[in-house]
Amino acid sequence: MSATRLSRRDQILLKCAPIGEKQIDDRSLRTAVHHARNTPAFATQQNFDKAAAALVQAIPIPKEIIEWVPTETLIVPERTTWKKYVQNPVFLATGIAALVIAVILAFQLIDRLNRFPGEPTARRLLTTAASTHSVILDPVKTNAGALGDYFFMKHRLAHYDVPAEFADLKTLGLRVFDDEEGQRVAQVWAVEKKMQFFLFPAERDPKSGATKHFNGWRYVDQDRWTGVVKEEGGVCFMAALRGSQGDLAPYVSKPKS
Amino acid sequence: MLADAGKAQEIFHATLREAAQLAADGESPRDRLWFFRNARWRCLEAVEQGLQAEDVDIEQGDLAERAPTQIQQLEPEQFATWIAAAPDPQRTALAFFYLNEFSYRDLLSVTELKPPELSKFLGNGRREFQAWLDATFPPSQS
Repeated sequence: MSATRLSRRDQILLKCAPIGEKQIDDRSLRTAVHHARNTPAFATQQNFDKAAAALVQAIPIPKEIIEWVPTETLIVPERTTWKKYVQNPVFLATGIAALVIAVILAFQLIDRLNRFPGEPTARRLLTTAASTHSVILDPVKTNAGALGDYFFMKHRLAHYDVPAEFADLKTLGLRVFDDEEGQRVAQVWAVEKKMQFFLFPAERDPKSGATKHFNGWRYVDQDRWTGVVKEEGGVCFMAALRGSQGDLAPYVSKPKS
Repeated sequence: MLADAGKAQEIFHATLREAAQLAADGESPRDRLWFFRNARWRCLEAVEQGLQAEDVDIEQGDLAERAPTQIQQLEPEQFATWIAAAPDPQRTALAFFYLNEFSYRDLLSVTELKPPELSKFLGNGRREFQAWLDATFPPSQS
């Protein structure tokens, strides 16, 4: 075995090379044998070993021993365990690829499940919330629950009601404005946690004009602001604050009073 | 391992009896190489009671192309005696290797050697055997 071509590791392994290639169950040994396959020294070693093994095979085994236990039954074939499958690079690569695809699909599924009609508007209004100062709002100090009548009476906005979960919160001010799509949006500034409420028309089907309904509260995040949105009577209500879902969860999880 | 067919047969029977006993007790060996490990230790115990091979430097020779021809001139018992004369664990390594029944990993497991150790024992064994072959059948004769 030429030292110039074979690594020291290969040289060590080749001295253990089994006489038949079928018995090579180790990847590094198989590689070493592949490297040395055409070297005269390895051929000499294999011929040496084959001759010696043939001599051993010629050692007579007492007949009664062969009758008792046939040679092939002495070594039980090794079971292929799940660990061996895992260590196989092909299975490993396939497994990792499948895992990555599964994670991506899971993320897409979760993202799809979290989508709701009116989500783009809600995100846009979160940006508005982040940039709005209370000075631009009309000062109205009352309970948020009382604003439904105010919006209807003053701005003719029907069903712009604050849901029961947020109805008891005190307000500081409000304004009504047209967003970039020309929709009438009501913005309310609450005292608690500098929270802001938005009321805006629910998304409609462009063909039929029917309101796209959805049930329950849906969360939406944008630039460290979080909103929780509910649709009722064709109007979406969103409570927004600078924080996480955990900050809003206590409000929407409490029973309606 | 022993170069003594009688003793080898006794050890085979003893190992088989122990396996049968374990199976009867519902404790069949889980280790697929149990039979060989058990027989090996019994052989080593038997050898300890007899003459011990000395761990001395033995002459070595480069493996030669003529080796197969030289080996063919041997009687199987001569090779068995030569292996049995080697100190353990080299004797175990050579005996199990030339049985030609084990894969590389099985060989490491059953000899309880690390790859560099197994490599050294097999490599030296071949070279020592070649030197012995050259002494027994000088190159000019083969």
